[in-house]
Amino acid sequence: MYGEFDLTIPKTLQEAVKSLTAGGKRAVPLAGGTNVLVDVRSQRLAPERIVDLGRIGGLRGITVDGGRVTLGPRTTVSDLLASEEIAATAPALVESARVFAGQMVRNTATVAGNIACGSPAADLVPPLLALDAEVTLTGTTGSRTLALCDFYTGYKSDQRAPGELITAIGWPVPAKGSFGSFYKLARRKGDAITVVGVAVGLGLKGGRCVGVRIALGSVAPTPMRARKAEGLLEGEAPVPERIARAALAAAQECSPIDDVRATGEYRRKMVEVLVARLVNNAVQTG
Amino acid sequence: MTAHDTIQPNLRFSQVGKSLTRTDAPGKAMGRTPYAGDYVMPGMLHAKVLRADIASARLKRLDVSKARALPGVVCVLTAADMPDRTIATDIPGQTGRDRLKTEQQILIKERVRYFGEPLALIAAESADIAEKARRLIEFELEPIPGVYSPEEALAPGAPVVQGTDNVVSTHKIRKGDTDAGFAEADMIVENTYVTPFQEHAFLEPEAGLAWVDENEVITIRVCTQVIEHFRAVADAIGVPHNKVRIMGAMVGGGFGGKEDVTVETYLAILAQKTRRPVRLEFTREDSFVGHGNRHSMTLKYRTGVKRDGKITALDVQILADAGAYVYLSPYVLLYSAVNAPGPYRVENLNVHARAVATNNMFTSAFRGFGGLQAAAGYEQQMDEVANAISMDRLEFRRRNYLQTGDPISTGFVPPSAIWTEKCADLAWEALGDPTPSEGPVKIGRGIGAFQQSYGRLTFLHDTSEAWVGIEMDGTVTVRSGVTDIGAGQASSLAQIAAEILGVTLPNVTVYNSDSQVTPLAGTTTATRALYMTGNAARLAAEAVRERLAEVAAEKFGVDVAQIGMEFNRVFVTDDSAKGMTIADLVKLAASRGVHRSELAIFRAPFTDVLDPETGQGQAHPDYAYGAHAIEVAVDTETGEVKVLKSVAAHDVGQCINRAAVEGQIHGGVQNGLGYALTEEMLYKEGRLMTPSFSEYLMPTAMDMPPVESIILESRSGLGPFGSKGIGEPSMTPVPPAVANAIADAIGVRVFEMPITPERIWRALEAARG
Repeated sequence: MYGEFDLTIPKTLQEAVKSLTAGGKRAVPLAGGTNVLVDVRSQRLAPERIVDLGRIGGLRGITVDGGRVTLGPRTTVSDLLASEEIAATAPALVESARVFAGQMVRNTATVAGNIACGSPAADLVPPLLALDAEVTLTGTTGSRTLALCDFYTGYKSDQRAPGELITAIGWPVPAKGSFGSFYKLARRKGDAITVVGVAVGLGLKGGRCVGVRIALGSVAPTPMRARKAEGLLEGEAPVPERIARAALAAAQECSPIDDVRATGEYRRKMVEVLVARLVNNAVQTG
Repeated sequence: MTAHDTIQPNLRFSQVGKSLTRTDAPGKAMGRTPYAGDYVMPGMLHAKVLRADIASARLKRLDVSKARALPGVVCVLTAADMPDRTIATDIPGQTGRDRLKTEQQILIKERVRYFGEPLALIAAESADIAEKARRLIEFELEPIPGVYSPEEALAPGAPVVQGTDNVVSTHKIRKGDTDAGFAEADMIVENTYVTPFQEHAFLEPEAGLAWVDENEVITIRVCTQVIEHFRAVADAIGVPHNKVRIMGAMVGGGFGGKEDVTVETYLAILAQKTRRPVRLEFTREDSFVGHGNRHSMTLKYRTGVKRDGKITALDVQILADAGAYVYLSPYVLLYSAVNAPGPYRVENLNVHARAVATNNMFTSAFRGFGGLQAAAGYEQQMDEVANAISMDRLEFRRRNYLQTGDPISTGFVPPSAIWTEKCADLAWEALGDPTPSEGPVKIGRGIGAFQQSYGRLTFLHDTSEAWVGIEMDGTVTVRSGVTDIGAGQASSLAQIAAEILGVTLPNVTVYNSDSQVTPLAGTTTATRALYMTGNAARLAAEAVRERLAEVAAEKFGVDVAQIGMEFNRVFVTDDSAKGMTIADLVKLAASRGVHRSELAIFRAPFTDVLDPETGQGQAHPDYAYGAHAIEVAVDTETGEVKVLKSVAAHDVGQCINRAAVEGQIHGGVQNGLGYALTEEMLYKEGRLMTPSFSEYLMPTAMDMPPVESIILESRSGLGPFGSKGIGEPSMTPVPPAVANAIADAIGVRVFEMPITPERIWRALEAARG
């Protein structure tokens, strides 16, 4: 039922990249497999080659060094939940990890896999966007690092060249006193695809908002930053009218569609509700 | 028959009523219990089903040549290979009564009527080859206009799904004078409630293994609620009834979804054709379109009421979506009609219920069987009427509850206790102190009371058999065809036999679910297994006990009435020093040639059908009553619902195994919460848009509230020891209780289930203007 494909199990990153590059468009990297296997079974994906990354050492782990957090690409969602460093430096990421799918998926799904799957509903991406995360891509000719907010180019498409893999995810440790949170609105509490996901990050300096980041999931072809909303709050005092304007701006700048889970109209309205709610929470906490 | 609040007040039990470890528990816990999909045979083939991907179409071309040419493919069958083969889609002919003439072609010859209807069967040396062959079959379907809702199907000039028109079934109930009743009313309250389709979503998809045995018997090991489909399968493939044998396995969930034939016919045909063992397992996607789902219904309630809370008249119009084939729709609809007023006294009643064919997936049995949809109607309406006359919701109900001895809608007086009021008051009280509302999150509470039959429709003339025998070491064997769908059906028989024969539960072994070897027990449906087969086992065990007791009485020189049997001993009740082990008693009896086994049959009440114009008469043997109370928190900005508290109060008559009763209640709550809140089968021109568990969302452990069970035992039921049943009743009151709690929290009602966050948001937006 899983079709026919070559399976390669490289021991090094270079071998993996080579195998993927040689395999061309129908070569697929396999990390946690929680998307790939489902897609192969349903024939949404018909790979000719699967490159299993599971035997390559050093791809999993969390390091905090020199004011920067770095995740190995095969760090699992459960790893995030078990990490004191992540709890201390990225509370929004913890909140999204906690509501990510179900326990069995969390145990095997990886951070890079969630980014690379390109789903608009990828729950780890909005909090990572709010943290100004960067991704490092490695291909046959070397590595390059780009901002996560520049990674996606459209629905399920991104900047990776054929054969390139995400090999690190990193972000600067947020300044003391900054706030981050994530909310997942879904049709049930456990194991559900997100209807609207909102991540907010901000700090308060002299009664004004600084470093405002608002990121949205499931309301556009890719997870997105709500830059107009951020701009309306940056450097401003977080008075209720200002927050309401920013929330409305976020609702206006996303482009949600109708699907089996909800209508675009409802999603847009919920962006407004949740952005206002999370920003208000941040302000009250700060 | 007169009604009783209790018939056996002073029973004392040693085995029954306790939370004993069920006979099926260790095997399941240790992974030793084989399910139908676990069975394999040497040389077996693997089967696949090719399905239509358009709901209403004409088959223009079907070319299986490439599939047949694929190495490893043994057999590819289409309608061309068996042009006249049909299968009855109606209730199994267990009783020999005429069934409705509803037949379905096994494979599509020309006309496709629903999305997923089978086009071809493939058997190959491996599942992979079979799947590859399935993809090699070429077919062309020409879409033809279809109808996708009952309203569309009833419109003048609408395409006809099959036969002469789209009305599949109509039921009427007429009682008293509704015109006079409405004229007398101080207020008339009218509302329309919509209930959705629902998928059974059992853990175990349909699976089976078939082979032709040395006696030319086509033998099918399958997960089913009804092994007596062997007759329908034999008729379908053109062999005598005694040449098909269905052996059940422990079933991984039924809920009505394994009540109709699923994989059996395909397996029988392929085994017959290839003369090799054939295995077929539905994928989850197959399963979604491989058995009938719950009927979506529109229920229009019009209630006349006096200011003092007396209901003066009730008019109920029900429209059900039967889907593309009849299956059990007429019976499901009958349950909706009979239960339309719920557990309330309504002297002036008019019910008009219709089931209508569409090109949606066919609908059939599902836990609650039409009674559940009716409950969603009457219980939401009770709240709306109470609100309209500004009366407390429980007080309004109290003024209208049926009491023991009252007739129901059909004029029939249930012979057992009606303890709805007691149950509702206890459940409501158990909610305790209200949780405070906070900001946009509002708290609300709801009650759902109900009436749900147990036992099949009495005009089906239902019977059930069981055999009980006792061995010379005092161990007991029970044989009965009853299928065990996970609720402890087999274990209950063991507990009943243990109680009567005075042995402890581990000393009883049950053999069940074999249509040729175990005595036929009927279906595990309609909350009937305990009532029917439990009584058969009781009768058999009592006959054996009586013979053994006579031997003991003679041995001890006392009257038979003085003989007690308990905990593997027989003794004289007022002189317990006089006694011996049951094993010694059986040896003694055996040495005297006493018959140590008995095959018993239990017969439900046999009646005629209800009067076709008035719906008066007896529809069921008896009814179960109870209530469910719910507390929810609703986020009024997002529409999200969190169920905080859930209390079930049921009069089960008598628990056989208390833990099993609680298990059924927990499962019923999960099933009911899903129906009310999250589960949604979306169709687009008949195509199922939610065909997997990523779109079809049942409540998970994260979504479940704590469930409290209040179990009352009136000992008034028709089952063994006065038991009733809990399989369906555990679910029936849950959806309206949730809906009423949400309406209480937010001040407006969402008239259509599932009550999704978006629907709540829309209702609130509309109310905000």
